[in-house]
Amino acid sequence: MNGHGLMSLAALLMLNVGLSGQELSAPAPTSGTPADMVLIPSGVYRPLFRAASEPKEVSVQAFYLDKFPVTTGEFLEFVRANPRWRRSQVKPLFADQSYLKNWKADLEPGAPLNAAATDVSWFAAKAYAQWKGKRLLTVAEWEHAAGAGTTRPDGENDAAFRQQVLQWYTTLGAAPGPVGANPANFWGVHDLHGLIWEWVLDFNSAMVTGDSRADSGGLERGLFCGAGAQGAREVANYPAFMRLGFRSSLNANYCIHNLGFRCAKDL
Amino acid sequence: MKTQLVSLFLTASTLITFAAGTNPAHHSCCAPGKEATAPPATLSDRSLYQLDSAWTNDTGAAIKLASLGGRPQVVAMFFANCTYACPLLVYQMQQIEAALPEALREKVGFTLISFDTERDTPTVLHNYRLGRALANERWTLLRGSPDGVQELAALLNVKFKKDSQGQFLHSNALTLLNAEGEIVSQQLGLNSDHAEIIRRASELAAR
Repeated sequence: MNGHGLMSLAALLMLNVGLSGQELSAPAPTSGTPADMVLIPSGVYRPLFRAASEPKEVSVQAFYLDKFPVTTGEFLEFVRANPRWRRSQVKPLFADQSYLKNWKADLEPGAPLNAAATDVSWFAAKAYAQWKGKRLLTVAEWEHAAGAGTTRPDGENDAAFRQQVLQWYTTLGAAPGPVGANPANFWGVHDLHGLIWEWVLDFNSAMVTGDSRADSGGLERGLFCGAGAQGAREVANYPAFMRLGFRSSLNANYCIHNLGFRCAKDL
Repeated sequence: MKTQLVSLFLTASTLITFAAGTNPAHHSCCAPGKEATAPPATLSDRSLYQLDSAWTNDTGAAIKLASLGGRPQVVAMFFANCTYACPLLVYQMQQIEAALPEALREKVGFTLISFDTERDTPTVLHNYRLGRALANERWTLLRGSPDGVQELAALLNVKFKKDSQGQFLHSNALTLLNAEGEIVSQQLGLNSDHAEIIRRASELAAR
């Protein structure tokens, strides 16, 4: 991407942020919505890859979703209450050596309390969610919620939103800042794009190898049952490919500096 | 960009080559040579038996994974309705069983864990056992909760997804656990060469 392209993207981004700040009208909260969560209405998720036997659209039931990713401060409360998830006590099976690697001590985070919690494994994220009486969300739920733009539920039909998301994937890598700095999307959810990658419950559901680039033809033959029938829906959706590829490269005990999570809850 | 992306990810039309003598690219993992000899009472940091999930075997008995300990286990995830790769995986496990030295065979366990938490009831699993002639005490067939299956699959590096027909797309993997439940060796894909797993299982069983 050249400098000119970046500039126009930035302009679009600012324009969009400016507008959405005024015009955003998230759905009215329903009674019974847990604190700091919003209701994501039911909808459909169109998988990027699917088996021949799978439908083009997967229906997603309505669910509650955290407005923000889990913060360092919230994760501190979790490890305070659950000693086995402290850095010095966690089992390597459930979290690799990078677990909370920037923390100065078991109960001393290395980042501001409002920064997104990262360097956490899938097992840790899952345990946190359980401790909160919540759960991790599925790929279908995540993609459904994250498909909303800032001003409309169908972000894929909003060119500015698509560019904004794409822009983030070209600059990803810095240490995650505070949650909530990005504008809320149509449902009132912040930071699904633009801050961190997020763990999902079924991160290990894509039948691709961790690094398919190394394989001639992109597939280690015989590795997967039924996967050969899978085909791509829309190759132009670059960010969705990035997410698919990223999730596929993960193991459950991996801890990565820009990989965090948020929780969902059934109605 | 498009072509790069496409080649990044799989779209292959053929899945399995039944070539004899295919490349024996074994994927051993997780601290080789560290198959420890500590008593099973205290689980090692790398033991899969740390998972506390509840399982049911094909007699309907509730068990924990830790009850598989005490001897090496050859483990695969499968589902009874699979007509594609799972029968091959099970057949491969039977070949490994047959290839073990007779004196050691009794000391190695074989465990099949179902993805299909809905349909693979103890009765279905028991019929599977009978249909595949797995009728001896060395074989364990397990059904778990969706959560338990997800966790175990994550630890075994098995990817899976249920499709709309109720079938499961899944990795094909045979994993050798030592008596403590640590991963000693893993064979990914429908590789017909089991020499590595047979060798390691024999070593472990001979202790």
